[in-house]
Amino acid sequence: MSVVIETPNSPRTRNQANWEKYGWLFMRISGPLLIVLVFTHLVVNLVLGEGIKAIDFAFVAGKWADPFWQYWDMAMLWLAMIHGTNGMRTIVNDYTERVKVRTALNTSLWAVCALLILLGTLVIFTFDPCPAGAAADLLPSFCPALTS
Amino acid sequence: MAEQAIAEVETFQVTLMIRRFDPEADQEPKWVDYDVQMFGTDRVLDALHKIKWEVDGSLTFRRSCAHGVCGSDAMRINGRNRLACKTLIKDLDISQPIYVEPIKGLPVEKDLIVNMEPFYKAYRDINPFLIASGTPDKERLQSPEDRARYDDTTKCILCAACTSSCPVFWTDGQYFGPAAIVNAHRFIFDSRDEGAQVRLDILNDKEGVWRCRTTFNCTEACPRGIEVTKAIAEVKQAILRGRP
Amino acid sequence: MVTMPAGTLYRGKVGMWSWVLHRISGVGIFFFLLVHILDTALVRVSPEAYNAVIAVYKTPIIGIAELGLVGAILFHGLNGLRVIAVDFWAQGTKYQAAMFWAIIVITIVLVAAFTPVHLARVFG
Ligand code: HEM
Ligand code: SF4
Ligand code: FES
Repeated sequence: MSVVIETPNSPRTRNQANWEKYGWLFMRISGPLLIVLVFTHLVVNLVLGEGIKAIDFAFVAGKWADPFWQYWDMAMLWLAMIHGTNGMRTIVNDYTERVKVRTALNTSLWAVCALLILLGTLVIFTFDPCPAGAAADLLPSFCPALTS
Repeated sequence: MAEQAIAEVETFQVTLMIRRFDPEADQEPKWVDYDVQMFGTDRVLDALHKIKWEVDGSLTFRRSCAHGVCGSDAMRINGRNRLACKTLIKDLDISQPIYVEPIKGLPVEKDLIVNMEPFYKAYRDINPFLIASGTPDKERLQSPEDRARYDDTTKCILCAACTSSCPVFWTDGQYFGPAAIVNAHRFIFDSRDEGAQVRLDILNDKEGVWRCRTTFNCTEACPRGIEVTKAIAEVKQAILRGRP
Repeated sequence: MVTMPAGTLYRGKVGMWSWVLHRISGVGIFFFLLVHILDTALVRVSPEAYNAVIAVYKTPIIGIAELGLVGAILFHGLNGLRVIAVDFWAQGTKYQAAMFWAIIVITIVLVAAFTPVHLARVFG
């Protein structure tokens, strides 16, 4: 006697696209890039020269006078914010039970992320190293002597 | 006391702290302690039997084979998921009480018994059966190398020690969990099987392999010594590749 | 007899604790990053405003806290590489515990080397 089992179980199908694979991959691509970006940032700002003691407006102005550091900091800003926000999303998804709470938290996370990326990028590229009317001793040495 | 020439099996006194829950009487689980005299050859399962048979017949737990084959008696012993039938008491620190609790993340029904249905549901969802076309006259042949590819994941006894040790599974119980992925792995990498794409697609889900955070609790909990985290990593890579 | 209200804490090994630390450090760094973007944005307000806020980073208490921040970033970054190795390197699962301890040692050594340099500047 033989038993014939026809399609014993119909395959489960997913009815919605999901981006989890891409989020997971993004964490693993942005991670190593952030190692280079962030670790260099720490060495340049906190270890070399006078470290934290030297950090002031003139220091930032001196760095951003070079487009290299502008693009460096922009890449770090974008990658770290998206990486961090996506990581926070994972944590929110883990620990929230009610869909409303989850959606509210995740929406806030991405709103904050977009806002800070926009703010940071604008700051980096609209930055004026020699603002008019500022005390000369606070400015980088390359600013023209002020006459007013 | 009769003097005996043959060395006696040593006995010792142990305290078991068992987390008990009676749905008809208790609001919440509670810890109850039992002192029992056990032999050096005894396992935690023997202590549970002794308590049930000699002290309190209402103590409730699952066991069937008593020899690590059926996967019925996974429980949390001193904070780690183990099979009670494979855990020798003398290997534990008996100067302290031995804590015995139900596995975590599944609804407790009574004492050490949990509702396994969510666990089995995830297992059924990955299609745990050979999907192959045609009706061969003889068995479907496979080279030893091809068989070796998934040998590790054939050993699973569905005890749920891995899934209920996973911090991600504890959060909401929606994650497929290590055991379902292990059993999917067993067919995905089977050269005779033709359903790999379907299973890879099922596990490429919001609740699929991407929720794994590589904590290795599953690998350490598995009483069959399956390299669970490795199997999950192989499934992740297969999904990225788009084929086994 | 009720001695412990809840169940026991799951006694996972280094894999579990590395994940706990990774998660906590990730959240910590995330919130610091939010603050750090806002304080840096003050360069767009005025040199005085920026310098006033950055002065806080040079105070003793915050200066010491920065060591913790640097340690958290080092651990999170290096452990991130470990997680990637577990996911993609065939031997990753075998050496995960060894890699964890290597990360702990590297993090401690680097923070220990940075501490005197940094504190000399904060207190100097
Ligand atoms: C320095 C280089 C970095 C590397 C190599 C790195 C690597 C990683 C990796 C691989 C993951 C995924 C972990 C997993 O799936 O289990 C992760 C998660 C995470 N990362 Fe990073 N990361 C870095 C920097 C950062 C920064 C700057 C932040 C904060 C803005 C951050 C916040 C997070 C958070 C919140 C998570 C989620 C943790 C979890 O799900 O448990 N990371 N990181
Ligand atoms: S993989 Fe191991 S721990 Fe998980 S259910 Fe199978 S036998 Fe149990
Ligand atoms: S009783 Fe069968 S595995 Fe322990």
